[in-house]
Amino acid sequence: MKSFKTALLAGFACLALSGTAMAQSVTVYTAGPGSLIEKLAAGFKDESGIDVNVFQATTGKVMARLEAESSNPVADIVISASWKTATSFAKKDMLLDYTSANAKNVPDFLKGPGYVAQGISALAIAWNPKSGTPKPEDWTDLTKPEYRDLITMPDPAQSGSAYELVAALTAQPDLGWKLFEGLAENKMIVPGANAQALNPVLQGAKAVVFGAVDYIGLAQAAKGESIEVVFPKSGTVIAPRPMMILKTSAHQDDAKKFIDYVLSDAGQALVAKTQLMPARSDVKADRPLIADLKILEVDPKTDRKAVLDRFTKTFGLE
Amino acid sequence: MRLTSLKSRVFGNGGMIFAAVAPVLTLLVAFPLLFVVLQAIFPDIARGIFANPFSRFVETLFDKHLISWTLNTLMLGGSVVLVSALVAVPLGILRGLFRIPFAGLWDVVFLVPFTIPPYIAALGWIMALQPRGYLEQITGLNFGGFLFSFWGVVFVMTLNVFPVVYFAVSRMVASIGGRYLEAARVSGCPPMRSFWRITLPLTTPAIAASLLLVFAMAIEEFGTPAALAARSGFLVLVTGIEQRLSDYPIDLPGASLLSVILVLIAMAAFVLQNRIVSRRDFQTVSGKPGASRPAELGAWRIPVVMFFAVIGFLGAVMPILSVILTASTRTISGGLAADNFSTDNFTEIFANSGGAMEALGTSLSLGLGAALITGILGTMTAYVVVRQRTVSSRILDFLTLMPNTIPGVVVAVGLILAWNQPWLPITPYNTIGILVLAYCCLLLPYPVRYANAALRQVSVSLEDAARVAGAGGIKVFFRILMPLIFPSILAAMLLVFAVAARELVATILLAPIGTRTVALFIWRQFEQGSVGMGMAMSVMAIAITMTIPVAVAIWARKQGRLF
Repeated sequence: MKSFKTALLAGFACLALSGTAMAQSVTVYTAGPGSLIEKLAAGFKDESGIDVNVFQATTGKVMARLEAESSNPVADIVISASWKTATSFAKKDMLLDYTSANAKNVPDFLKGPGYVAQGISALAIAWNPKSGTPKPEDWTDLTKPEYRDLITMPDPAQSGSAYELVAALTAQPDLGWKLFEGLAENKMIVPGANAQALNPVLQGAKAVVFGAVDYIGLAQAAKGESIEVVFPKSGTVIAPRPMMILKTSAHQDDAKKFIDYVLSDAGQALVAKTQLMPARSDVKADRPLIADLKILEVDPKTDRKAVLDRFTKTFGLE
Repeated sequence: MRLTSLKSRVFGNGGMIFAAVAPVLTLLVAFPLLFVVLQAIFPDIARGIFANPFSRFVETLFDKHLISWTLNTLMLGGSVVLVSALVAVPLGILRGLFRIPFAGLWDVVFLVPFTIPPYIAALGWIMALQPRGYLEQITGLNFGGFLFSFWGVVFVMTLNVFPVVYFAVSRMVASIGGRYLEAARVSGCPPMRSFWRITLPLTTPAIAASLLLVFAMAIEEFGTPAALAARSGFLVLVTGIEQRLSDYPIDLPGASLLSVILVLIAMAAFVLQNRIVSRRDFQTVSGKPGASRPAELGAWRIPVVMFFAVIGFLGAVMPILSVILTASTRTISGGLAADNFSTDNFTEIFANSGGAMEALGTSLSLGLGAALITGILGTMTAYVVVRQRTVSSRILDFLTLMPNTIPGVVVAVGLILAWNQPWLPITPYNTIGILVLAYCCLLLPYPVRYANAALRQVSVSLEDAARVAGAGGIKVFFRILMPLIFPSILAAMLLVFAVAARELVATILLAPIGTRTVALFIWRQFEQGSVGMGMAMSVMAIAITMTIPVAVAIWARKQGRLF
């Protein structure tokens, strides 16, 4: 028992010492994809010699860790997949007001005081061409009988972008809740977060994802999966991924350099390579960009809880 | 009387051990869980502010889903307990009483479900049974309707957890031995009657303790019900907790409060369990010669082996087969077509062998560390609880069960809140030490329950006899008690090892920056859409993790006993 205790104490002591030894480094908390932050960290290290410590999880887990740590913050930079995190952090005065010189070509709606987009994803229809169904062109196509029992959708209660899609589409005067009632009629299932919605479509149990995250679908198609990403004509929502430096950061200069790097030509090229839309409008990518899409806005006054309640009710998920 | 006082002088009736164990458990379990409770009450505790206590209670507790979620949680927990009992109690009793062909093999096979992360097992079953899944591609049949239903969830979860009951029961029955049955037979009692009147009642502590663990695991597991039944609208309390932590805005106070409800449910189950096992005395190991040989099965050999084989096939082979198929096909949409098979995923893992091997090394050492610490600590705790039947020891007992009833993600939040306090002089947070703490906290229940059940059988008179013969407290513990309860503890430590080597939920939140574990490696592959590569890593991780139990089984066979 005694030796166990001493071992534990000794372990703690040397671990506590090792924590203080890092000199030139920034700590980044980021939502996926993991391969992007790994490449960005490596590129940044090559250019500046500064180490990047990465914590990568889903947006929800990143926020949970940040919040639980708030009495003694660890992160310097946060990159999330939800634009709302940035606006609400800014409102709570948690962000360092910094505008990178490289943000010049980032459109105004993709930056604010203390935050700027890293890249942007959009929601789309992901369709399996081997499913024997006709290729859908628009959201409303999926209420047709050909797709009966063959549609999945990420859960808006678990995915912020899926919620925005529901909020935006139901606010369209010509659609309203009729679209989702039609989908419920067509037995659309809501099996969980984004990955759970895509998996049945890949294997062929279902044919279409309503509201798939575009870059994941595009990356799957590039890997040879039988999947096609369709951007509906009537428009869709985008999810810009904000980067921000926390005011509590002890490495603000290095953190600024990291933001500069992500917005540099090299950084934005890495973003484009993961099939995300680059934040800078002057960087090209091998996929439809913001200018090519019709973007639907979400009224910031929308009552999130009311929308989610109506959604669960429509699909009998209570 | 004289003996008792002698004993209490030497060993303080467990008092010395109590004094050693209580502070460690306080630090390991009570400290982080206290912060879960504080978080439930004070919404801003993360900022060190005690303002607006209870302000989130109304919103969370009057959520209109709360009642149906709670009822669903109870129904799921109850059903998994029932089905696990129906499957694993007979298996365990057969294993303990009879000479089963390939006995060592079955022990190893039944450990496999524990090495498969639950979300991988669920995904494996989905890919096997859903429409156009592997089964349909091979046989034209699919069982999607069954899988994506309440009973589908119970089926998959039972296969994940039944080994807890199997190992507890088989070890206990073996240590009781056939001696009492022999006595019953000699006095003319028919076999079935002696089973109902002797074997089953004497096994009660093991059954009750392991079913309590199963219940706790079933009510806190998120992945399986979410993957299989959420689509049909079957939601449980953990679903609500996960929703509160899955996207912005997150709700830590709400998630903590719902966890407290889970703890209360578990507490009721704990009280029930205690009622059952403290109603009578189960001391059967009292020093009379007990080395009985397992009985022969005779004509029942074939059906019994079939029973073991079917459960082993469903629990271990089916999900792994599905995982292997996914790992060895190039694309999921390509299915089982001949030109879609490839070793690409495995090659890529070997190409990235640095990262993958590092992750395996980290996970295996974490697993071994957690197994050793929880094994020692659990045995000592159980000793205090069984021998020193006081209120404080009861509290200690329940304390060690609590972490198992709370979703790992909430325990992780509690650990961060607790160990990232600015006033702490030193902290394991942001070092690998926090993962050791987390796994010990989450997995301590296994050794505690197992050792508790085993110790209940050992008569105090054995210890007293040893002391009269002049042995000191420590010597009695290691020379008399340990050999008697070791099979149970070893089995529990193997379970801890298997779970710790693949834990994901708490690890995601707690992993220190730059640390890779197997589960994180797999999860990141999934998250990037490389399901095949994630599955390939799972296959390797399961194979490597299993080498330890296999080695233990071989060693135990040489020693001529159960591991």
